[in-house]
Amino acid sequence: MLEIKNLHASVGGKEILRGINMTVNPGEVHAIMGPNGAGKSTLSNVLAGRDGYEVTQGEIIYKGENLMELEPEERAQRGVFLAFQYPVEIPGVSNIYLLKAALNAVRKYNGQDEVDAIDFLNLVRERMKLVKMDEQFLHRNVNEGFSGGEKKRNEILQMAVLEPALAILDETDSGLDIDALRTVAEGVNALRAEDRSIVMITHYQRLLDHIVPDFVHVLSEGKIVKSGDKELAKELEKSGYSWVHDAPEGQTA
Amino acid sequence: MKQLTEITTPFSEVAKTVSLPGAGLDWLTQLRQQALGLFERQGLPAKKVEDWKYTSLWQLSREGFTHDAKASTLQASEVADAAVLEDAYRVVIVDGRFNAELSNIEGLESGLTIKPMAEAWDQAEKLLGQQIDLDKPGLNALNTMLMQDGAYIHVAADNSITKTIELLVISTADNDRLASHLRHLVHLETGAKATLVENYVSVGETQGFTNVVTEVNLADNASLNHFKLQHESLGHYHIATLASKQAEGSQWHTNNISLGSKLARNDIHSQLLGEQSHVTLDGLYLVTGDQHVDNHTRIDHAVPNTTSDEVYKGVLDGKSHAVFNGKVFVHQDAQKTDSSQSNKNLLLSRSSEIDTKPELEIYADDVKCAHGSTVGQIDQQQLFFLRARGLDETAARSLLTYAFAVDVLQRIKSEPIRQGLSNVIEKRLPKGA
Repeated sequence: MLEIKNLHASVGGKEILRGINMTVNPGEVHAIMGPNGAGKSTLSNVLAGRDGYEVTQGEIIYKGENLMELEPEERAQRGVFLAFQYPVEIPGVSNIYLLKAALNAVRKYNGQDEVDAIDFLNLVRERMKLVKMDEQFLHRNVNEGFSGGEKKRNEILQMAVLEPALAILDETDSGLDIDALRTVAEGVNALRAEDRSIVMITHYQRLLDHIVPDFVHVLSEGKIVKSGDKELAKELEKSGYSWVHDAPEGQTA
Repeated sequence: MKQLTEITTPFSEVAKTVSLPGAGLDWLTQLRQQALGLFERQGLPAKKVEDWKYTSLWQLSREGFTHDAKASTLQASEVADAAVLEDAYRVVIVDGRFNAELSNIEGLESGLTIKPMAEAWDQAEKLLGQQIDLDKPGLNALNTMLMQDGAYIHVAADNSITKTIELLVISTADNDRLASHLRHLVHLETGAKATLVENYVSVGETQGFTNVVTEVNLADNASLNHFKLQHESLGHYHIATLASKQAEGSQWHTNNISLGSKLARNDIHSQLLGEQSHVTLDGLYLVTGDQHVDNHTRIDHAVPNTTSDEVYKGVLDGKSHAVFNGKVFVHQDAQKTDSSQSNKNLLLSRSSEIDTKPELEIYADDVKCAHGSTVGQIDQQQLFFLRARGLDETAARSLLTYAFAVDVLQRIKSEPIRQGLSNVIEKRLPKGA
């Protein structure tokens, strides 16, 4: 699904990612953890194609294609989804309009007709139940006046409607209270599938209690310094990030 | 004051030699003579005049317009395509003249009178010219000396007109460089209510000149919902005055949408002369290429307890230039005035330019006046978000542009009008959604 090879990336001339290697197979859930400043958000932005992030070395192969050569919308149309750490408010654009435009963009790429109005409404209504969102949110402007939890749930709703092959969840747990976290996690768990991979980027272990990953990677100073299974996250929780800093390089999986 | 007096089109000659409708009426002849005298002294306003600082009429003064309209070949189907509303009383003016055949003003509701101005001078006499200032630097004098036709709309006391009136002013390619001087008068008697859409449109490419004055007189508790849509050809000139006098408890909601013309200028003036009267001045301008649009609005709060609410939004692309000047004048005794004004602009290109200036003059001490103006660009975070959801860059920009403009439309309560106007606006969005 996704293969990251020796990825180096800079922001404003400053190197943030310094040789990341990682393979994500279909159906797998990977968690990338790390302290502030480790390069977590840079990695998600590079994957989604945000301007200002320069890949200086290495490559990212997604379903056999070089991801770096694709515009953000081309990545999205091919099934790459980024759940934003800070979802953007868009006054004047209703949620339902966004969902429909986004879904139709994917369908168009896949050579399908625009979604039928009634099928679309049924789909959206069904997916809203996954994240326990009330229907009134459909007619509100995208994220405008939403609480932090509502914004994050709205991201997962978009994921649920678009059914991406690869979802990158950037700090989806940040700013959530425990109930909201549970709702979001239930939504994501419901979307786990054999043909869908999920990369979760998080600072805290608590998200991983709710969405149990197959693999955990520790990102520090732009490199993956340790990889393991979910037990690794628990060790981190106990000992903090400082012990991975001290770990000798080359211990990566 | 310096004015443009060397004008290629012989407007004064036309006024002196051409026989205009109503030429036999003494009062009208006198009014036109007075205007002619003023115009001959003043000419067109030059940029030295404060109100015309950002809008040059020099190019217009160099154009040779004709006043000789050939019979138009406009078809009913073209009128239907140009109309905003399907179901409306339709008053159609083609190349400066009322066209009875293409209009639909039969079987009007009781209390409503609609006539071509060229046949309604007698009814209009009492109010004609009363809402505007003939001396004001601008084109009011030119319009008055040459006004040839227009619409006279009257609603008798306590009648609520349910069907919307659409005033379609069509310039056709049959009369390519025509100058039209139109005068409309809308008079609502006590407690009367009506909805009016003024729609200025070209059929084919035109390079003419529309010079229009719309006068609105609202008696006690009268209420007018009013929309003005201007989407003439990009070679056209459009200069308009829209002026109202409002008595006690009256309401004027007006929405001024300017999309077309090479040069468009609107002078909008609301005079709140009775207590509890209210005006809403909304506007939207969408310009690109080398278009120039200038909206000057003025609200006079002349008595206590009046309210005004103004939202103007602009989207500028290409090398376009927009001007917004919003004056709110609170007179000495006008206590408890409540006024809010905002002008927001979205610049889509580096070479577009906006000059925006709110102007408050307040001579009362117990008032609430808020104003603000902003100039911004497409938000990069929003753009990336939409692209990350699969919308290509063009579609995403277009959607964000529409989203910026849409709240002016969302303030329109009538569904068919909002829909009709949205359809026209969407076509003008940069590169289309």
